[in-house]
Amino acid sequence: MNRRKFLSWGTAGMVALCSGVVVSLGAVIRFLVPDVFYEPPQSFKIGNPADFPYGPPTFLADEKIYVFRERDKGFSVASAVCTHLGCTVKFFTSDNRFHCPCHGSVFNENGSVEHGPAPRALNWFEVTETRDGQLRVDKNKTVPPNYRLMV
Amino acid sequence: MGIRSTVGACRSGARIMGKRLPQIFFVLSTLSLVLLIAAIWQATRPSWKTYQRHYFQLEAVGEPNAVTKAAVLATPPEIHQILLPGLHRVDRCTTCHLGVDDPTMKNAPEPFRYHAGLGPHVASKFGCTICHGGQGLATDVKDAHGNVPFWNDPLLSPEYVRASCGRCHKEGDVPGVPELTEGRRLFETEGCRGCHKLNGVGGSIGPDLTEEGASHRSPEWLEQHFLNPSKVSAGSAMPNFQFTREQARSLTYYMLSLTSADMGSYYSSVRLIPSPAYGRELFVQKDCIVCHSIGGVGSKTGPDLLDVTKRHSLEWLDEQLVNPQLVYPGSTMPEYDLDTNSRKALVSFLATATPQDAEAIMAPHKNVITPEDAAIAAGKQNFARFGCAGCHGTELQGGLANPNAQGGQVPSLLHLSDDYTKDEVIAVIRDGRQPPLDNVHGPTPPLYMPSWKSVLSNEDIHEIVEFLWSKQQKAKDSW
Amino acid sequence: MNLIREIWQSIVRRDPLSTDKGKSELVFHNVWLHIHPAKVKKENMRFKHTFYLGFITFFLFLILVTTGIALMFYYRPYPPQSYQDMKDLQFVVFLGPFLRSMHRWAAHGMVICVFLHMCRVFYTGSYKKPRQFNWVVGIMLLLLTLGLSFTGYLLPWDQLAYWAITVGTNIGSYAPIVGGKLRELLLGGHTVGEAALIRFYVLHVAILPSLVILLTIVHFWRVRKDGGLSKPVWKLKPRAPEQLVTIGATPQVAPMQTIPASKDKTYGLMEVVTGKPNFEIITPEEEEDAVFSYPYAFFREAITLMVTVTSVMAISLFFHAPLEEMANPAKTPNPAKAPWYFLGLQELVSHSALLGGVVAPALMVIALLAIPYFDRNPSRRPSDRKWAIGLFTAFVVVNLVLIIIGTFFRGPGWAFVPPWVHVVAGPE
Repeated sequence: MNRRKFLSWGTAGMVALCSGVVVSLGAVIRFLVPDVFYEPPQSFKIGNPADFPYGPPTFLADEKIYVFRERDKGFSVASAVCTHLGCTVKFFTSDNRFHCPCHGSVFNENGSVEHGPAPRALNWFEVTETRDGQLRVDKNKTVPPNYRLMV
Repeated sequence: MGIRSTVGACRSGARIMGKRLPQIFFVLSTLSLVLLIAAIWQATRPSWKTYQRHYFQLEAVGEPNAVTKAAVLATPPEIHQILLPGLHRVDRCTTCHLGVDDPTMKNAPEPFRYHAGLGPHVASKFGCTICHGGQGLATDVKDAHGNVPFWNDPLLSPEYVRASCGRCHKEGDVPGVPELTEGRRLFETEGCRGCHKLNGVGGSIGPDLTEEGASHRSPEWLEQHFLNPSKVSAGSAMPNFQFTREQARSLTYYMLSLTSADMGSYYSSVRLIPSPAYGRELFVQKDCIVCHSIGGVGSKTGPDLLDVTKRHSLEWLDEQLVNPQLVYPGSTMPEYDLDTNSRKALVSFLATATPQDAEAIMAPHKNVITPEDAAIAAGKQNFARFGCAGCHGTELQGGLANPNAQGGQVPSLLHLSDDYTKDEVIAVIRDGRQPPLDNVHGPTPPLYMPSWKSVLSNEDIHEIVEFLWSKQQKAKDSW
Repeated sequence: MNLIREIWQSIVRRDPLSTDKGKSELVFHNVWLHIHPAKVKKENMRFKHTFYLGFITFFLFLILVTTGIALMFYYRPYPPQSYQDMKDLQFVVFLGPFLRSMHRWAAHGMVICVFLHMCRVFYTGSYKKPRQFNWVVGIMLLLLTLGLSFTGYLLPWDQLAYWAITVGTNIGSYAPIVGGKLRELLLGGHTVGEAALIRFYVLHVAILPSLVILLTIVHFWRVRKDGGLSKPVWKLKPRAPEQLVTIGATPQVAPMQTIPASKDKTYGLMEVVTGKPNFEIITPEEEEDAVFSYPYAFFREAITLMVTVTSVMAISLFFHAPLEEMANPAKTPNPAKAPWYFLGLQELVSHSALLGGVVAPALMVIALLAIPYFDRNPSRRPSDRKWAIGLFTAFVVVNLVLIIIGTFFRGPGWAFVPPWVHVVAGPE
């Protein structure tokens, strides 16, 4: 065996070894990407339309959303997470405003900022009707505040 | 020198590399790369992805809009899981059983079919395994259905699934499952507690049944065991009670429902409303009137219960029902095996109870007036509640086969007073005893009198003996 | 282009590998490689001399560290979550079963290889002067390896784990006076429970691996400082003691300044002070027979690494690490067995608690630690040390036989049951 051959086999082996290392690095990163989340799902059913009253919005504490139902207009769902630093806002019927308890941000009923440090309006989530007639909210999909679902 | 030594090293290098080490190195690195890729390939192709693809195709069939159709088909596969912290479970069944909560899938082939008739028990709140068994954490068919080594809770066959209702609905009638009611009734009346402990109350001859529903025994085994114990469990001490097929089925249902696993407040108390009517039922069933009175109607052994809810807090009453001695030292009230809901129901009944209620309840007890009679009645209760009837018979007639015990069977209790004094009988109940042998060299008889001193108070035993003495048949005729 | 070269030069700082100087600098200018000598004796690289067992053990340890750290991302040391995490690894973590199996099989492999490595060192007499202390370090590493494997055994929190640890810790509790207290300290209670799990976890992922790393550094460093690998036994001349230069002994070799090629050695500093070195030195004839570590030694090490990794991966691809039902303190499996490497002791305990629980393990550890100081025979030639080899072989064989009996020949009730007989479990 000559020196050239010696090196070429070795080099090929090194190439295979290095690709192995690269692939296993990729595999380890993929290993760390979770396939299941131990948290409430991002897209979920919230129940039958009839469960929700007209008038002031219904607050769902586990999902952190406000469900609005307006006569002749339909359903819309607002996030209850303040866009400033993630506290949960509370809707007051007295002034029809969302108030954040942490730093005093105030949002109007369209979710727009009226006072305080919040940089953006509240998120509105897509709400759809499932084939079995229930309402489904998808937190992965944000919609403009004038979005309405007619049932 | 440099050149010469390099050449020399190469030559000697070639010699010491004689076994083609670079080639071996190349082959091995390639092999390890191939193995790694094989492992990744294996990991990227779990069987649930195939099921999800089939489901999306099924969904797309009924979709008229081409854009939506393409979107449905392109849904990224993902593991679905239902988190059930209240039940300490995580169910991933819906990863493949994608149509369980979609009524349009009611005619779809399994595993995609809609689950009809769930009522309030929707999959998203209850999961699947709490009723059906199986391994909720698993994501391939064989492991998920649980018929694999080292998983004790395989899928229940459809004919036994309804038994699982009893895991949360621990008391009262469960609509649609008469077997459970019947099984519970049989358990208390046939004296099963004489040998078996359940929730801490009962004998020790047979195994503790508190966790029977969580054990690995199959329903078929249980049913056979009730029909003929020694057939499936050779050498079992359990007598053949000559149960009918229906009774065996009912008892099997009850056994499958037994678990001490915490079902969480959402599943056990909120759903089963502790109504006053159910409380009244319990009041009658547990014979509370034997010791207590309501507005002066009833027995005077225990305190009067009229307006008891105004005198004590609900927590106090609840605690009193759990552990009478702890709340009220020296209380002679026995401990009853009552779950949270039953206690709530009893208290809610007491809040509304009137002397008229007591009159109505007392009607069958009209002649209970003297303390002796009260003791006899309480003794009868104890005799049934602690399962003495299991071996000695509901009429004290004895007669269960007990090989190699004197007489070959469990003795009748109808002629005790001929051979024993009351104190001797009390001693036997308190300390237990091994039956005298027919043949001293023969095998130990399977059944024996257990010691009851850790379960029954002296008062309880005294009452049982009073009851026994009230039943004695005078021997004079037989001579 | 020049910038790139400059950056590269600033990193590697050596001459081209085509030169001898470059080959040497590759080794001693590199923090990872400098534990090697620049040149190695050809005979030392022969497979039949060391079987590369030390390297295999080390590489298995590297596999264990990497897979172990990966697994830690998905593990909570708290029952019953620990068991659920095992199920998650099996069902919903990408490559979870593969990595867990690799960790499990590499752990068993490391126990085996560290033991075989010890046997090799004994049979070649390589623990003799000046290498006595490195043998002691090696025995400590053996004990730490067993400790790592044992603590890791509990973490899946299944029946196998629970009862193996219950039985295993009870073997230790037979030690007089302190045994019971030690067990309590280890378990954080009287039985294996939540407290035991967190203690075993901390030992397994923090304390024991750190100790292994520290001692491995000492172990490797001492190999160099003691003069590299010992001479293969077939190269030993009948009058072997002359190969050693010891303090106070008459030097058998030429004066130090004439030892060629020694300038390339990292321990060259030793040569500028007066006094005699306390390690094996290379004679000029032997130096002729040495080659540069690059590429010859490195190639062999790389092949050893690849053999190790490939074998562990191949086994893990086809055999998954076992996972039984969740730990249930109320249900004892019959028979309940300690981890396999302790089954020899469990076998002894079944005959005599004192012998298996106290005398045998204590004697074994003490005897192993004392071997280099107790064995006064200076010769390393097998023909000169028949007694030592005979005794050690007896020790190894007895151990193996006991472990094999305990593993394969013990059925329910610790009754003697050959593995080819199927036992139907009796009524509960």
